[in-house]
Amino acid sequence: MPRRPKISLETDHDETGPRLPAVSPQLEPGEPTDLELMHGIQAENPEALSKLYDRYNGIIKALILRVVHNEAEADDLLQEIFMEIWNQAKNFSAQKGKPLGWMVTLARRRAIDGLRKKQAYARAGERLQQETEQQPDAWVHNLTEEEINFTDTRTLIRKVIRSLPPAQQQAIDLAFFRGMSQREIAAHTNTPLGTVKTRLELGLKKIYDGLKELRDEL
Amino acid sequence: MSFEEFQDRARLYVIGALEDGESREFEQARRHFGHKAEDFITECYRLHEAFALSLRPAKSSEALKERLMKMVRERKEQKE
Repeated sequence: MPRRPKISLETDHDETGPRLPAVSPQLEPGEPTDLELMHGIQAENPEALSKLYDRYNGIIKALILRVVHNEAEADDLLQEIFMEIWNQAKNFSAQKGKPLGWMVTLARRRAIDGLRKKQAYARAGERLQQETEQQPDAWVHNLTEEEINFTDTRTLIRKVIRSLPPAQQQAIDLAFFRGMSQREIAAHTNTPLGTVKTRLELGLKKIYDGLKELRDEL
Repeated sequence: MSFEEFQDRARLYVIGALEDGESREFEQARRHFGHKAEDFITECYRLHEAFALSLRPAKSSEALKERLMKMVRERKEQKE
């Protein structure tokens, strides 16, 4: 069973102010960094992909599941996404961000595309609606006692997200994990378009600002 | 558009939530603010990492990894 890395947050500054913390795994001495693994993949070394898979398949699959809500589809997409990482690694540039960010962006787009292609959008929307009714705070849907006591990055990020009013959380959830436009969110939640826009802007700013403060807590 | 307004739009942009009219204005402002804008957009993409890391990792089977690695090795051999 591959060991899941501990995640740490780093931050730095530039002329536009403090940067968001960069999420990177806390590695054992001698373990390759994410960037080294990406370079390995760019050099077509399968072992590098194998290590990156061990490190992040759980996070990527959780993201896919959050979009498609189907275990079998999530597994298919997970495989396709890591193949895409292998095939598209040459397009990764460290100047544009961290490997995890690149993978998450790629995975999210692929998962949302997959959802739409399979015309499961309406069906999954119904499932989401049911879940939202059962548990309005979708981001804490799977929270267990163990997790509550586990003060790691995930818990801290959740704390930031949970500090938002539920309506802002829902708007961001629908936009990020469902790929919905503002108009679609407005229709889905029966809310005026302007309100949706305000919720998204305020919520994202609070999360952005909250993440910057996380560094002080770690 | 002020830089503060641009920042609000950038956060929407990275999660794909800009409407058509907003996208055009955003692209104009993006060109106007140049490097400063690009740096901020890059920064906003870290929201993606945060959203993914807010989820509890899911388990997948060893068989799935074996299939993936078999495909990768075959792909590599085909190229060679």
